[in-house]
Amino acid sequence: MLKPHRVVARKFSSYAEEASAFMRRRRHHRRPYVRIQFRSGEAVELPPDGDEASQIMAAVTGLIEHSR
Amino acid sequence: MSPDAKSPPGPGGPTRQPDLAGRARVVLDMLSGLEPELRAAAVLAGDREVLASTLDDDAWRQSVVDLAESLEGIGDGDLDSSHIATEEAEVFTVRESGFSLVAVTERFVLASLTSFDIRMSLRDLARETHDA
Repeated sequence: MLKPHRVVARKFSSYAEEASAFMRRRRHHRRPYVRIQFRSGEAVELPPDGDEASQIMAAVTGLIEHSR
Repeated sequence: MSPDAKSPPGPGGPTRQPDLAGRARVVLDMLSGLEPELRAAAVLAGDREVLASTLDDDAWRQSVVDLAESLEGIGDGDLDSSHIATEEAEVFTVRESGFSLVAVTERFVLASLTSFDIRMSLRDLARETHDA
């Protein structure tokens, strides 16, 4: 039988793991992205730090601001 | 007058079919009904001319054109559609039958369904334009 303090420690670490997984999922879902589909059927996700994505993100930011 | 009866001709002759901008406006109204999470949308002829918009704001219209131009130079192939997500909202663009539609929605909408509705809206517009 586990000592009481170990039960508490395991509970605590289990909650901490759940919280960190939640934060990881949340961060992943909130990640900005640019996905392009071409007529050929090819689809690409632009690298987020690339020039093209930055240019599109700048245009989209203006678009969203004016749609508020 | 029965519902099937045609409208009486006005002083200038028979009632005109709604023009292209009017048809685009109707398409946007229908899309707004289909997409409760839609914030704003605009229909373009080609990539430069805004035919109709849900927002009566020149800055918004210019932003729509800016985005269309930004997307123009991406990749080697012909652009079909795009889906751009930010922390605040999502933006969809679809090209179909010579028209483009740009839509801003809330975050976490169903992307494939939204793109499908936009594409069907543009096909309706193209069909009505062809029939007119």
